[in-house]
Amino acid sequence: MDTTTAPPDAKPGHENTNALPTVQAPPAKWRWLTAPFDKPAVRTGSIVLLAVLAVLFPVITGDQANIDAAGNAAAYAALALGLNIVVGFCGLLDLGYAAFFAIGAYAYGILTSWQITPDWSGFWVPFAALGLVQKVVQNDHALVHFTVSFWLMLPISGVISAFFGILFGAPTLRLRGDYLAIVTLGFGEIVPIVARNWTGLTNGAAGLNGIASPTLFSYKFGIDATPYYYVGIGVVAFLIFASTRLRESRIGRAWMAIRDDEIAAGAMGINLTRFKLLAFGLGAAFAGMAGTFYVAKLQTATPDMFGFPVSIMILVMVVLGGLGSVWGVVLGAVALQLLQSWFLGDLTQWVNAFGDSIHNNYLSSIDLTQASELIFGIILVIMMLYRREGLIPANRRQRALSFEQQHATVQTHVRAEDVTLSQIGGEGYIHEPGAVPMLEINDLTVRFGGLVALNKVNITVPAGSVVAVIGPNGSGKSTLFNTITGLVRAGEGSILFQGNEILGLRSDQILKTGIARTFQNIRLFTTLTVAENIMVGLHARLKAGPFSAVFRSPKKLTEEAAGRDWVIEIAKIFGNRLMPRLGQTVVGLSYANRRRVEISRALASKPKLLLLDEPTAGMNTSESLELAEQIKGLHALGLTVLIIEHKLDVVTRIADKVIVLDHGEKLTEGPADEVRKNEQVLEAYLGRGAAAHA
Amino acid sequence: MSSFDLLLQQFVNGLSLGAMYALLALGFTIVYGIMELINFSHFNVFMIGSFVAMGVLSLFGLSGQTVLLHGFPLVGVLVVTLAVTMIACGMLGVGIERLALRPLRGVQGPMAMITTIGVSYVLSNVVMLTMGANTKNFPNPIPSVALHIGTAQITVFQFIIWALSAVLMGGLYFFVQRSKLGKAMRATAQDPDAALMMGVDVNRVIMTAFFLGSALAGAAGFIFGLYYNFTNFGIGFTAGLRAFTAAVLGGIGNIPGAMIGGLLIGLIEAMAGQYIGAKWADVIIFSLLVLVLVCRPAGLLGRLAPTKS
Repeated sequence: MDTTTAPPDAKPGHENTNALPTVQAPPAKWRWLTAPFDKPAVRTGSIVLLAVLAVLFPVITGDQANIDAAGNAAAYAALALGLNIVVGFCGLLDLGYAAFFAIGAYAYGILTSWQITPDWSGFWVPFAALGLVQKVVQNDHALVHFTVSFWLMLPISGVISAFFGILFGAPTLRLRGDYLAIVTLGFGEIVPIVARNWTGLTNGAAGLNGIASPTLFSYKFGIDATPYYYVGIGVVAFLIFASTRLRESRIGRAWMAIRDDEIAAGAMGINLTRFKLLAFGLGAAFAGMAGTFYVAKLQTATPDMFGFPVSIMILVMVVLGGLGSVWGVVLGAVALQLLQSWFLGDLTQWVNAFGDSIHNNYLSSIDLTQASELIFGIILVIMMLYRREGLIPANRRQRALSFEQQHATVQTHVRAEDVTLSQIGGEGYIHEPGAVPMLEINDLTVRFGGLVALNKVNITVPAGSVVAVIGPNGSGKSTLFNTITGLVRAGEGSILFQGNEILGLRSDQILKTGIARTFQNIRLFTTLTVAENIMVGLHARLKAGPFSAVFRSPKKLTEEAAGRDWVIEIAKIFGNRLMPRLGQTVVGLSYANRRRVEISRALASKPKLLLLDEPTAGMNTSESLELAEQIKGLHALGLTVLIIEHKLDVVTRIADKVIVLDHGEKLTEGPADEVRKNEQVLEAYLGRGAAAHA
Repeated sequence: MSSFDLLLQQFVNGLSLGAMYALLALGFTIVYGIMELINFSHFNVFMIGSFVAMGVLSLFGLSGQTVLLHGFPLVGVLVVTLAVTMIACGMLGVGIERLALRPLRGVQGPMAMITTIGVSYVLSNVVMLTMGANTKNFPNPIPSVALHIGTAQITVFQFIIWALSAVLMGGLYFFVQRSKLGKAMRATAQDPDAALMMGVDVNRVIMTAFFLGSALAGAAGFIFGLYYNFTNFGIGFTAGLRAFTAAVLGGIGNIPGAMIGGLLIGLIEAMAGQYIGAKWADVIIFSLLVLVLVCRPAGLLGRLAPTKS
C-alpha cells in the first residue's frame, strides 16, 4: 500500500477514492437543451417567468382541485429541498426523513387543536396575553386551549425539528454512510409508532382533529385552497433561495467536500461533526416547516401520513430531479405530484373507458393510481442505472480546453514579484530560524493491534527548513504523516507544533493550528472544480456561518471575494498548469495536475508547515524537477516543508535534512549526501549484499 | 399459566421466531460481508418466498389449516416446498444482482443501496398488483402435536423450525469454511481486488452469495407463513428490518453473529410482546439497533470483514 501509485491513466478501481464521480456531466446529446441556461440573463429570465406563472397559476386553472394538488406539491417540494441538503449536498443517506415532517406536523397540530387542554392556572396568564393560549370554560372547569399562530409555528416547528435532527444525528453521524441510512430508517419507523401509541399526545391512529387553519390579519384561510397555495409557493421560493445561497457558500463547499471525501475534508479543516449536524439539522428544519404547512392545509394529522413510504417518495423526488440540484429536486417533486394527482387518475379513466368500449372486465376496473409505488421503484432503479445525475444535473457544465490552452508555455519558477503569498498570508508563513522548532516529535510510538508502526521516533523540523523523510515501503512514513495530522490519534509520546502539543487533536483542529498536508493517493473532491477544491482549503480561514451565507452580509461578500483572489494567487504558483483549468471539475485533470491541485488546496489554508506525501509520484522526470523547483520557491517565501519522497534527485535538490525510517524506527538523519552513503540506509533499501558492494 | 411457564413459553416462541430472523439475517450478512452493501431487496425476496411456498402448497391441494398430513407425505410435501421455494428465491436474488446491481459495481456512494430500495419497492408492488393487497390464508399441514412442560408447550412445528434452521445454517457454515467456493467468498470479503488477482471469479462469488442469501430468505418466508398462518405483500419490511437489526447486533459480515443476533431478536420480540406490549416491540428493537450501532458498531461478535473504505 505504501508506494504503489497508479499510472496517470489508471482505470478508476474499486478502492480508488478518486474513482468514478458520483455525478457525471450531462451527455453531449442534451447539450442543445442546457446550453442556453449557461447565460445568466437566460437563467434570470426563466426564473422570473417561472415565478410569474406560479403566481398566476390559480387564476389560470381556476379549479380548486388543481390548486389543492399544487399546494401539496409545494409541501413535497419543500421536503425534497430539505432532503437534498442532507443527501444531495452532504451525502448522508437519510431513509427516515418523514420523521421530521411528522414532528413539525404534530408540533403545529398539538399547539393549535383541542388535543391537550391542561387545567387553567395563573401560569397561563402571560401566554394568554400574547395570544398563544385561550381560557375556555367547560362544565364549570377552566381549561387551556392552545392557539399558537401558524406564522409563529412555521419557524418554531423548524426549530423543534432541527432540535430532534441534531439530537438523533449527534450520536449516529459518526457512523459510516450505510449504517446511518439504517439508523435513520429505524428512527423513521419509531416516530410514527410513537405517534400511534402515545394517544394522549397525538390521539393515536385516529389522528389529530380540529387543527386550526391559519389567519392572516383578519382573513381566515378556511378551506379555500388558494391562500394555502400562495403560502406554499412562498415557502418553497424561500427554501430555493436559501438552498442556492448555501450551496455557493463556504457551508455548501464544506458539505460537498464531506460528500466527496470525508478524510480529506477533515484534513482541510472542516469540522465533520459540526457540518454534518448542520446539514441534518437544516434538513430537518425544512421538513418541520413543510409539516406545519401541510397539516395546516389538511387540518388533520395521522401517523400514516409520515411512514416509510413517504420517506422513500421524497427520496425518489430527489433522485429523479438530481442529487444536489436545487431546481432538479423541485422539478422532481412537481413531476411526482403531477403523476399521482393527475396523470395516473386520468390514465385510469381512459383505460377504464377503453375497457368498457371493448367489454374487457380487467381494463374497465383497473385502478392505476395503486401503481404509483411501483412507478417510484422503477424510477429509482432506472435513474440509478442510466442517469444517476438526475433530470437536472447539479454540476456545472464545463468547456474542454483548446489545444493552445493545453500546450501553453509552462512557467516553472515561483517568482517573488508574481506571488504575494507572504502579504496575503497574514497568519501564515513565518520564518524564524533559531526560534522554537516548527515541529518537534518526541518518542512517538504508534501501534496497530500487535504491529508497531512507529517505535520511539524523534524528529525535529526547524522553522524555515525543508526536511525529507525517506524509507522503504512499510517503514511507517505515511503513519507518521497520519499521526501528525490527526488521522491516527492513538499515538504515545508527544508532537509539539511551535511548542504546543497537537497529538490527540482532530485533523480539522490541527489544520487550524497551521499544518496542511497532501495525500499519497490523492484525495480531491471529485465533483468540485479546481477553484472550489482550492477554496475548500481556505475553509478554516473563512468565517461565514449559515445565516450570513443565506443573506449575504457585506462582510461575507468581501470575505468570499478575497478568497477568490487568494485562490488565483495560489494557482499562479503552478502557472499555466492550473490557471486555465480553474473552472473544470478535477475528474478531468491529468494525474500530475491533480497533485498540483492538492498542493494548492493545502497551500490555500495558509499553513506554516506543509506536509507533502510523495508529491512527485506518477510524474515524469521533468515534471518532478519542475515541482521540486516550485517547492524550493515556496520555501524561499518562508514555508517550512516536511516531505516524503522516493526520488532521490528530488530529495537532494530540496532537502536541508533527510530522515530515514525503517521498520518504524529512525535509522539515521543528516544532509542528503551523508545519508546517501550511510551503510544502514543502503542495506535497508537495497539489501545486505548490494550494500557490501556499494 | 404460572409466571415461569409463561416465561418458558415465550422463550420457546422467541427461539422459533429467532431461528427465522437468523435465516433472514444471514442473507444480509453474506452480501454485506462481500460487497459492503445493505440489500433492501432482501426484504421482499423473503416476502416472495412466502408466496412461492404458498403456491407450491396449493399445488399439493393444501389450503387453509383444515388439511393435515402425517408421516411420509408431510415430510415429502415440506421438503419439496422448501426446495422449490429456496431455489426460486435464490434465482430471484441472482437475477436482481445481475440486472440491477452488477452495472453499479464500483460506483461510489449510496447508489447501489438506493437501487436495492427501488428493487424492493418493485417486488412488493408487483405482488400487490398481481396477487391483491388483501392478506392471504397460508396453509399449514403440520398437526399441532405438542410437548407439554407444565402449561407451556413446544409444538412439532417449532421442533421442525429449529431442526431446519440448524441444518441450513450448519450447511452454510460448512460451505463457507470448507468448500473452495466458500474460501473464495471469504477471500473476496477480505479484499476483492486481491482475490480477483489471485484468480477468484468475483462475479461468481457474488452471485453465489446472492443465491445462498436469497435461498435462505425463501426458507425464512416459508417458515413465516407456517408460523403466522398468513402472508401479504407487506410482510417483508418489518421482518426484514428486524433481521437486519439481528445481523448488525451479531456483527455484520459475521455468519455465527447473524445466527446469534437472530435468536436474540426473536427472544426480545417475544419477551417484549409478553411483558411490555407488542405495539412497542419495534420501538425497542430499533432503539436497540441504534444503541448497538452507536456504542458497538462491530456488534457482539465483531465484524469479520474489514472496512474497505
